[in-house]
Amino acid sequence: MSRQRAPILFVVALLVAAACTSATPTGGGTSTPQATGGAASTLVYYADVSDLISLDPAVAYEFSGVLLVHNAYETLVKFEGSDLSTIKPGVATSWEPKDAGSTWDITFKLKSGVKFASGNALTADDVVYSLQRVIKLNKSPAFLFTDIAGLKAESIKATDPSTVVVSMPKTSSPQGFLSILTFTVGGIVDSKEVKTHEAGADIGSGWLLDHSAGSGPYVIDHWTKNSEVLLKGNGNYGGTKPPLSGVLVKHVPESTNQQFALEKGDADVARNLSPQQISALQGKQGVGSTQGNSLLLVYVGMNATVKPLDNVNVREALRTAIDYDGIIKDLLKGNAKKVQGIVPAGLAGYNETTPFQADVNKAKALLQQAGQTSVNLELLVPTGQAPGGVAWADLAAKLQADWAKIGVTVTIKQTAQADLLTSYRAQKGQLVMILWGPDFPDPDANVGPFTDYGAKSIAFRNGWDDKSIAQKGRDAALITDTAKRASAYKDITEYVLHNGPYAILYQPTELFGLRSNVKGFAWNPMGWLDFAAITK
Amino acid sequence: MRFLAFLVRRIIGIAAVMIGVSVVTFAISHVVPADPVVAALGDHATDDQIAAFRAEYKLDRPLPEQYLTYVYGILHGDLGRSIRTRRSVADDLADSFPATLELSSAALLVSILVGVPAGVWSAISRGRAPDIVVRLLALAGGSIPVFWLGLIVIGLFYYQLGWFPGGGRIDAFVAPPPTRTGLYVVDSVLAGDFASLRSSLLHLVMPALTLGYFSTAVITRMTRSSMLEVLGQDYMRTARAKGLREPTIVLRHGLRNALIPTITIIGLTFGSLLSGAVLTETIFSWPGLGRYATASAVSLDFPAVLGVTLLAAVVYPIANLIVDVAYYWLDPRIQRG
Repeated sequence: MSRQRAPILFVVALLVAAACTSATPTGGGTSTPQATGGAASTLVYYADVSDLISLDPAVAYEFSGVLLVHNAYETLVKFEGSDLSTIKPGVATSWEPKDAGSTWDITFKLKSGVKFASGNALTADDVVYSLQRVIKLNKSPAFLFTDIAGLKAESIKATDPSTVVVSMPKTSSPQGFLSILTFTVGGIVDSKEVKTHEAGADIGSGWLLDHSAGSGPYVIDHWTKNSEVLLKGNGNYGGTKPPLSGVLVKHVPESTNQQFALEKGDADVARNLSPQQISALQGKQGVGSTQGNSLLLVYVGMNATVKPLDNVNVREALRTAIDYDGIIKDLLKGNAKKVQGIVPAGLAGYNETTPFQADVNKAKALLQQAGQTSVNLELLVPTGQAPGGVAWADLAAKLQADWAKIGVTVTIKQTAQADLLTSYRAQKGQLVMILWGPDFPDPDANVGPFTDYGAKSIAFRNGWDDKSIAQKGRDAALITDTAKRASAYKDITEYVLHNGPYAILYQPTELFGLRSNVKGFAWNPMGWLDFAAITK
Repeated sequence: MRFLAFLVRRIIGIAAVMIGVSVVTFAISHVVPADPVVAALGDHATDDQIAAFRAEYKLDRPLPEQYLTYVYGILHGDLGRSIRTRRSVADDLADSFPATLELSSAALLVSILVGVPAGVWSAISRGRAPDIVVRLLALAGGSIPVFWLGLIVIGLFYYQLGWFPGGGRIDAFVAPPPTRTGLYVVDSVLAGDFASLRSSLLHLVMPALTLGYFSTAVITRMTRSSMLEVLGQDYMRTARAKGLREPTIVLRHGLRNALIPTITIIGLTFGSLLSGAVLTETIFSWPGLGRYATASAVSLDFPAVLGVTLLAAVVYPIANLIVDVAYYWLDPRIQRG
């Protein structure tokens, strides 16, 4: 009999437990609230952060990781606000590139009195350790140092406790390297602290995965996988004390849930709302929205090794036939900028010319010139949503309709992005619709991949081997005079506009739902914001 | 002894299933045309990086060697490293499985506590209003998609009425209980922490109801139909003729006999709860195995997919085993037979 009573007892026990808890008054309880002092002084940021892999500056290269790392670490130099053209002092007060014969030597003088969250002083040794660590670990962002800047571990040296010298090969651009240093990969870690957590050959990356050792305004309190990351104020931060003592980034993949939480006041920021959801917020009390620029470009690559795309007039015809304004106005509800060059607005070298807009007659004439009457092509398209909040499939259908008007028949093939990239990287696409964002805020981060076949990036994938433009791109990267550099990029972008294998469709805008009391929210196009500037 | 032999047979069966599942999943994940490394490293990775990553994960080795390395790892308690999260798969599973187990168990508990009484009530009031209402609700439960139901539930009980929190396992400003089982409700009870118990129970209500609605409907219908069958039996008439009170007749004589097919359904339902958890977890931001499995599959993270599959291959037979044991215990004829 006792065996038969056991389940009944279990149920009774549960009911008793439930009854006990419902008797606990709201907001009461014995557990201590977490480190930041509660909801009033914490920014609650709802976002899909499923891409989060690591919070180590030498490893993080995903949107969520970059956003968080940016707020926990300082860099030698930085961009301020949403400006991406003027390098400002970070931990370094000066940075002078000098021609040292076979190399460029950049001497960084460090600010004195900077402290890490641990209280340790930030010295040249920490800088050398941090930058060398990136190269030795060789994780996702390491190529920025090794391939783009051409650095080796021994290229970085401390000459005294407040001076660091970086020697770069003459083939790399000092301006480009300074831009790279503003990115999270340039974050300075507390070498004394990290060394105590090194395990095997991991140079502390196991520990830094979910801890921080920086000098930024916030430190990482905890990361509960698949749930949340909590940042709390760094008591030893040397700059202005952040108004909010904590930032809670909650992983909420479903955008409806984000919208509800924002309207209810449980979330201060909703990151992944669609343009429709943003317009639904209008007129509701206590909520609003804001825009941020991005540096992404959504484009169609045209494989120049595939007939008839090898003919420049056919490519020009396809570009000419597209109704760009319709895409932006109707499909994206205005949530994008019309950009047709390979450098996005916001970067130096941006070319404002937009010569193409649904000119059917001109496109037909171009096809005729190329000797083409009927063209059949396949368009590879990813699944899911394109940046700006439209389904990739809808964009593809729009292109199909536009091209049908000039006698070009396109078969749409939709596949998962990983699948699409596998074909694209192997030059196996005909027309491929996809997006690109620069790796660092410099025109070279787009001009290189889009023009240099040898770089085995976008130009390679589209089989476009134009040696003269590739050389012009490499030369432009090395120009140190800003005005001369800008004019070189203007020539290059102008040439690619009409000769390259690309139809740039648009540059999307980022949308955020915000509580009305949230102020100081300024999205940086590189994919982060300064939480320390936000009040609520 | 017979019971022991039965257990041993079952455990051998589980091992065989695991070998089969690992071979099939391994084979499928390697014939998919897309490259998991490209999926993991993305658009910008250089060929060198891709090659280095491939070597790090031993993806450059011949397939049979990869499989043997994998099996060797499993036998040594190592499920490999996830390509997407770059963490040990065993750690990832240990993080996400308790959340799903808690949610599925709560959903199952709801289904039983609601489904069985509703089925009985519906049967004894056959053709009258309560029966019609229960049958309509059960019909709806069997046909409403979980995703849609979840959004409606959140919209009503969180957004409109504000009765329950909108998602997650526990309030952001309540510290989770110290981990012992990974089930927040159980851990909170063990730690005697009522704030976290209250918060985790409140967070559990909407997802458990959403996930449990389908199985509640199935259990209700099964209980109703087997109850109707039992109510027509001769021994029921005998019980009435003996002058027993109606509740005793229905519960002691009727329900106990009607429960046997229901138990079988409950076992089968547990499997559907685990798979239904994929959508429920996404809607309610529940950090469980379902969401981990989806994210892994989308990014072609086959060590993770294999890990989830193997875990499922263990959990399903164990759930069925529990049902069989319950069966054995409920029905004396099986013990004798």
